[in-house]
Amino acid sequence: MTGPEPAPLDVSPARPSVWRNLSFVWLVPILALALSLGLAWRSLADRGELIEITFANASGVTPGETELKYRDVVVGTVETVTFTDDLEKVLVRARVDKKVAPYLDTDTEFWVVRPQVTTRGVSGLSTVLSGVYIEGSWDKEVVGEPLVQFAGRDNPPLVLPGREGTRITLVATDGSLITEGAPVFFHGIEVGRLERPRLTVSSDAIVVDAFIQAPHDRRLNSATRFWDTSGFNVSISGAGLSVDFDSLSSLLAGGIAFDNVFEGGKPVSPGHVFSVYEDEASAKKSLLEEPKGAVVEVAAEFGETLSGLEPGADVRYGGIRVGQVTSIVAVVDDTSDGPGVRLMANLAIEPERLGLPAGSGPRETLDFLESATGRGLRARLATKNLFSAALIVELAEVPDAAQATFRRDATPLPVLPSVKSDLPDFTATAEGVLERINALPIEELLDQAIRTLGSIEAIATAEGTKAAPDAVVALLDDTRALVNDEATKALPGELRAAIADLRAVVSELREGGAVASLNETAASAREAAGSVAKATEGLPDLAARLEELVTRAGRLISAYGDRSDFNDETLAALREVRNAARSVSQLARAIERNPNSILMGR
Amino acid sequence: MEDAGTAPGALTARAAGLVACTQCGRVHPLGTPQCRRCGSDLASRDDTSLQRVWAWLFAGMIAYVPANLSPMLLTSTFGRTRENTIIGGVFELFDHGSYGVALVIFLASVVVPIGKFIAIAYLALSVRSRGLARGHARQRLYEVVEFIGRWSMIDVFVVAILSALVQLDFIATVKPGVAAASFALSVAFTMLSAQAFDPRLIWDSYEVEET
Repeated sequence: MTGPEPAPLDVSPARPSVWRNLSFVWLVPILALALSLGLAWRSLADRGELIEITFANASGVTPGETELKYRDVVVGTVETVTFTDDLEKVLVRARVDKKVAPYLDTDTEFWVVRPQVTTRGVSGLSTVLSGVYIEGSWDKEVVGEPLVQFAGRDNPPLVLPGREGTRITLVATDGSLITEGAPVFFHGIEVGRLERPRLTVSSDAIVVDAFIQAPHDRRLNSATRFWDTSGFNVSISGAGLSVDFDSLSSLLAGGIAFDNVFEGGKPVSPGHVFSVYEDEASAKKSLLEEPKGAVVEVAAEFGETLSGLEPGADVRYGGIRVGQVTSIVAVVDDTSDGPGVRLMANLAIEPERLGLPAGSGPRETLDFLESATGRGLRARLATKNLFSAALIVELAEVPDAAQATFRRDATPLPVLPSVKSDLPDFTATAEGVLERINALPIEELLDQAIRTLGSIEAIATAEGTKAAPDAVVALLDDTRALVNDEATKALPGELRAAIADLRAVVSELREGGAVASLNETAASAREAAGSVAKATEGLPDLAARLEELVTRAGRLISAYGDRSDFNDETLAALREVRNAARSVSQLARAIERNPNSILMGR
Repeated sequence: MEDAGTAPGALTARAAGLVACTQCGRVHPLGTPQCRRCGSDLASRDDTSLQRVWAWLFAGMIAYVPANLSPMLLTSTFGRTRENTIIGGVFELFDHGSYGVALVIFLASVVVPIGKFIAIAYLALSVRSRGLARGHARQRLYEVVEFIGRWSMIDVFVVAILSALVQLDFIATVKPGVAAASFALSVAFTMLSAQAFDPRLIWDSYEVEET
């Protein structure tokens, strides 16, 4: 339109600087990134060391959950649970705190804590709810480079590393009463525990390590003796029955006790080997059986056979063991009769046991022996005990011994004089006793006894013997009943009276002959006959009973046998009885038939 | 015009020399520094909008990484402590047969946040290169993102409530893990990112086309 138009301006806005327009909001993601990276880095740096533990059995170990604890404080977590390449063991990988990782060295032990009920109590109860955990133990010393691979234990160690104490080794002959974890007592106080018992290579003894806690391990020295306190002890004595046991725990799991049996034992180093005695008594007695110190060797010369004496046999003085026989040698001597052999026993004598002061050397010992020999000290063989043929050497003071000297300067060893022992006498006596016992007529005596018993038995078992008493008793009863019968008793009297009457009539008749009295006579005769008939009424009955009696007696007698005198007599008696019965019945029948026969006398 | 997204020949506020307050809606002449009604800052287009969107988005993404790697819940029952990450918890619930709960947690904690990251990134990118999708669809997407953002907090709520309620000492104790805080931050950052986005930018590309 009007005026020139200005050339269109090519206005382009100034390109805003990227940086000038940069919003502060960008700080937020940068901060977030820094924070995230920082956190990531820190957690990575704090992650701890990965260690590997192998277990035979990892029951309850869960990756990501199971904790690794040291003194009950969590120091790590299990990450994975896998197997070793050969599937032999379970491989547990765990992360442990960086702080404790350097302490994991050779003495480190790991085990899985599970609930356990043992004779020693209940442990790991908390794991019932919370699940198992892995407990580690190590000491505070850092030895060399920290390890990352460990072999886990199957059971918790009895002694945690870092515990003060002394580990010793015990040797026992019988492991049946020694169990792992059994307590060790000192005067009834538990001061340690046994570890797992194991056999020696030769399998003739049980070796078990024991840990004695500080400060009780100071009690251990060369005077210490251990003994078995397992089970219980029942003893019956004049004081009554006593049952004795140490503690319930030792009753169930066994236990070992120790004490110092003498004063002044020398200290022992860790790992010292002690033997375990059967009981306290034998442990204390052992004091007399073990060499206490330096020994002095002397020789004893014997003029008799040494068969039965062996190296190791006791040397006793006044009944106490003072040493032992070390060897037996034969020495060839040149005597006037030619070479002769003498037998020598070399004895190792312990001066302290002889009663000499501690620290006595050979000189004092030889001095003592020399003076004692002067008083009559002699070596003599003796039997170890009544039932053994083994011999020991006895140092005995024999007052009436032949003069002898202690040859102190003899080579190679000083020689003690000896006396002949009374061993053969004893043997002879014993033999004599045995012979006399042998000579006793024991066998004949026994034969006789057996025979006697046999005949007694035969009599006792015979049928007749068993039956006789009953039958005899019955017979006697019957006989007595018959005799006591009123009728039987009355019969003779009545008969006699009747006969007397008849006789009187007859005599009257004979004398008088008077007819006048005939009627009277006839009347009396009738009367008499009546009474006779009356009297004879019981006769059949009597005869029947007698008959019965006789049959029974006959039965009895036939049962009894017909050999003995008793039988014959009895039979005779019966026969008589039977005859009597027969006569009675005949009389009865005659009187019945003809009562007048009595009057007329047949 | 050709693009169905805009009314043909519609006059925009900027073309008319006006600027509307985003808070109360009152229009002012261009150049007015503050809304006369509500006092909020006025800007025809927020120049730093995209910058802030990207910044918050990156912050949200960064926070989302530890939220998924570290444990969300520390559950101890009878002395046994379990640590569960978000995904671990989902799988565990799935194993136990709680498919519904597993699905809800999976949606709220995994699908939605990741979807939001993608959606916001897409919106921010699409402002530059036009025509990737219709304006209306993008506007709708923006609204959905803004709306759904808060629901991602459901996981954080669960953790917060559980750890407040379940404090039975030995029997059962629930403690929030590092992931809970990270996750909450991630969600918050993403929400801020969505808020920083100026939806007017969606339509600007069409105007450029028109002119």
